[in-house]
Amino acid sequence: MIKVMRRLCRILLLLAAVPLLHGCWDNKDINHRSLPLVMGIAKQQDKYRIYLQIPSSDPQNPQMKVVAESGRTVTEAVDRISMNMESQVDLLHLKVILVEKHFAQEGMADIIEGFIRARDISPKAKLVICNESLERFFENMKTAIAGNQTILCDFFDKNAGWNPSIAQTHIWETFRSIHSYTRDVIAPIIQTGKDTIIENVGSAIIKNGKMVDRINPNETLLYYAFKGASTQGKIEVLDHASVLIVNNTVSHHGKIVNSKPLLRSTIRLKVSVLETRGDPTMASIRQELEEIEAKRFAKLFKKMQLKEADILGVGQYFRTDLSRSELSHWRSVYLPKAELQLTIKAIIQNNGNLKTTGM
Amino acid sequence: MDKTLQVIVMCIVTHLGLMFFLFPSDVMETVDVGHWLPILVGYLLHFAFVALYTKGLAYYDRHDLIDIFLTGGRTIAVLLLLPLAVYFIMVNIITVRAYSEIITIVFLSNTPLWAIMALLLTIPTYIAMTGIESIFRTGMLLAILFLPIVLFVICVSFHNTDWHYLFPLLERDSFNFITERPFLKSLFIFTGSFLFLGFVRPTVTYNRRRILIASWILLPLVLLSVYIPLLTFGQDTASMLQFPFILAVDTIDITWLMFDRITGFFLLGMVTFVMLFVGLVMWATNRLIHRCMPRVRPEWITLMLGMVIFAASLFVRDWGSVHRLFWWNSIFRIYAFSVIPLATYLFGVMKARKLQVSP
Repeated sequence: MIKVMRRLCRILLLLAAVPLLHGCWDNKDINHRSLPLVMGIAKQQDKYRIYLQIPSSDPQNPQMKVVAESGRTVTEAVDRISMNMESQVDLLHLKVILVEKHFAQEGMADIIEGFIRARDISPKAKLVICNESLERFFENMKTAIAGNQTILCDFFDKNAGWNPSIAQTHIWETFRSIHSYTRDVIAPIIQTGKDTIIENVGSAIIKNGKMVDRINPNETLLYYAFKGASTQGKIEVLDHASVLIVNNTVSHHGKIVNSKPLLRSTIRLKVSVLETRGDPTMASIRQELEEIEAKRFAKLFKKMQLKEADILGVGQYFRTDLSRSELSHWRSVYLPKAELQLTIKAIIQNNGNLKTTGM
Repeated sequence: MDKTLQVIVMCIVTHLGLMFFLFPSDVMETVDVGHWLPILVGYLLHFAFVALYTKGLAYYDRHDLIDIFLTGGRTIAVLLLLPLAVYFIMVNIITVRAYSEIITIVFLSNTPLWAIMALLLTIPTYIAMTGIESIFRTGMLLAILFLPIVLFVICVSFHNTDWHYLFPLLERDSFNFITERPFLKSLFIFTGSFLFLGFVRPTVTYNRRRILIASWILLPLVLLSVYIPLLTFGQDTASMLQFPFILAVDTIDITWLMFDRITGFFLLGMVTFVMLFVGLVMWATNRLIHRCMPRVRPEWITLMLGMVIFAASLFVRDWGSVHRLFWWNSIFRIYAFSVIPLATYLFGVMKARKLQVSP
C-alpha cells in the first residue's frame, strides 16, 4: 500500500512539473509583438526623434508603417511608441539603424553605447546615415513602395543588393571604434533617389562616434580593396575602357623608420576587360587602371591623415612596433606623419570573348 | 569500475560552464598587454595542484578525502575540512546568484530573479540527491547533447577576429599582476571543479595519468575564452564589457545558418553545464555534512542545503554585492585551491613512510 502511495506521489510530482516545461514566464505571442526592421534616429534640440518602420504582417494590406515619437532618451521614445501601439515593440530583429546626418555630425557615441549596454538591439544591426531629413526620407519611401517592406535591409544585404561601393558597418564595429586607439569606421550615406528608391551617395568617416568627413563611392571601393575584402564584381570605368574586378589580394608591412610609421602595401587587382573606347592596348589599360587607383588612394589617405581618423586601420600594422602607451597617441601623433608606399598591380586576367592585340 | 572518461568529461564540462562569463573580464582587468601570461600562470598552478592532489589520493585506495584526513585525528580533520565546507557552500550561493544575474542581463531581462534561481537550484538539487554515478551519467549526456553546439560556436567565433590585436605580446613589468585582486579572482575557474576527485574514490576509480593528460585540453579553451573577445574588439573595448565573450558571439553573422542569434544555443549549453557544476559541488558538500550527521538521510541534507542556498541567494541584493561576496570568498578559494591538495599529498607521503617503517 505504501509502495503504491509512493509511486502515486512520484507520478503526481512529475505531472506537477508539466506546466513549467514550456518555460514561458511572461511571454507575449508573436502576433502581439511588432518587430520593427529599421530605426531612424534624429535629434531636435536636446530630444531624440525616433522613427520605427514596422512591416505589417497582414498579406492583404502590405503597407509600410512608420511611427515616430520624441523623447529625451532613445528608450523613452521607443517606450512611448510601445505604449501607444496595440502590440509590444520588440527591437530584437532590428536590422538597420538610420541616423540623420546632423545628429551623426554631433556625435552618437551615447546611443551606440546604450545599444550595447541594453542588449535589446542586436550588435549586428547596420549603421546607416541619412543625407536628408528622416521625415522626408520615410515619406518618400512610403509613397515609393507598396509591396516590398524589407527594401532597406535588402539594400545592405550581402546576398541581395549590396555592392562593394556601399560601406557596411555594424553597431559593434562602431562601438569598437569609439574606444579603439587605432581604428575608425565608415558608414554609408543614403538618400531617396529619383528612379531607384534608395541612392548611395558615399560614406561617412566616423571618428569616435562622430561623422567628421565623407568619401565618395569610389573611395569606398578602395577602402574594401585595402581591407582585403572582396571587391569582386565591381566595374571600374577608365578613360579608354571599363573593366570588371574579378579578384583582389593585399599584403601590408608596417615598419617604424626614424620614428615615422611607414606602411608598404601591395594591392593586386585581377580584372577582365568588358568594353573599350577606341583602340587601347592591354598594357595601356593596365597602366591607366594602376594610375587611377593610386591617385584616388593617395587622396583618400591624405583626407584620413587630415582628419586624424584611421578608417583603414593602418595602426593595426604597427602593434608589434609600438607599445600600448605609444599606440594611445596613434591618431594624433603617428598617423599624420605616416607614410604609405602603395603599389597597385593590375593583372588583366582575360579580355573577354574578343581577341585584342598588344598584350 | 574504471570511469576515467566520465571523470574527464565531467572536469571539462564543468570548467566550460564557468570560464566564459566572468573569467575573460577578470583577465582583462588584470593586465592590459600579454593576457596569455596570467592565464598560463593560473593554468600551471591548477595543473600542479591537481597533480599533487591526485598523487596524494593515490596513496590511499578507496578512501575519500574525509577518511584520509581522519587518519590524522578528528581535530585535524575538522580544522582542515571546515573551511572547505564553507567554501563549497559559498561557491554554490555565488554561482547560483551570479548565473541568474547573468541570465537576466543577457537574455531574460523581464523574468524575476527568484524564478530563475529556483530553476537553477531545483535541477542541481535533484541531480545531487541521486548520487555521484548519476551525476556522471548526466554529465556524459549533457556533453553529448551540448558539446557539439558549444564547439561549433567556438569555431565560428573566429569570424570577426583580427590577429593584429594579439600584439603587443609582452611589456616590461608584466609580472606585477600576481598579487592583484582581479588575478586572484580569475583563479576561480580553476578551483571549483577538481576537488570533487577526492570524494568519488569509494565508488569510482580513475586513471590518474590520463586525467592529468586530458586536463591540458583546458588550456586552449581557457585561452580562447579570453582571446576571442580580445581579437574581436581589442583590449580597450573588450575590457569595458561585462561579458566580452558573449558579445563576441553576438557579432557572429553567418548567412547560411537559419538562426539569427546563435548566442542562445551557446548560453543554454553553458547554463546546463553550470547546473551540473552546482549539482556536483552540492553533492560534495552533502558528503561533508553527512559525515557529521550520519543519522540524517543524505537526501534530506541535500534538500535542506538547496533551501539554505536559495534563501542565501535571495539575500544578495545586487550585482555589486555578488562581486563583493565573490571577493570575500577568495580566502577560502585560495585555501581550497592550495592547502587541501598540499595536505592530501603530505598525508599520502606520511602513510607511505609508515608503511616503509612498519614491516
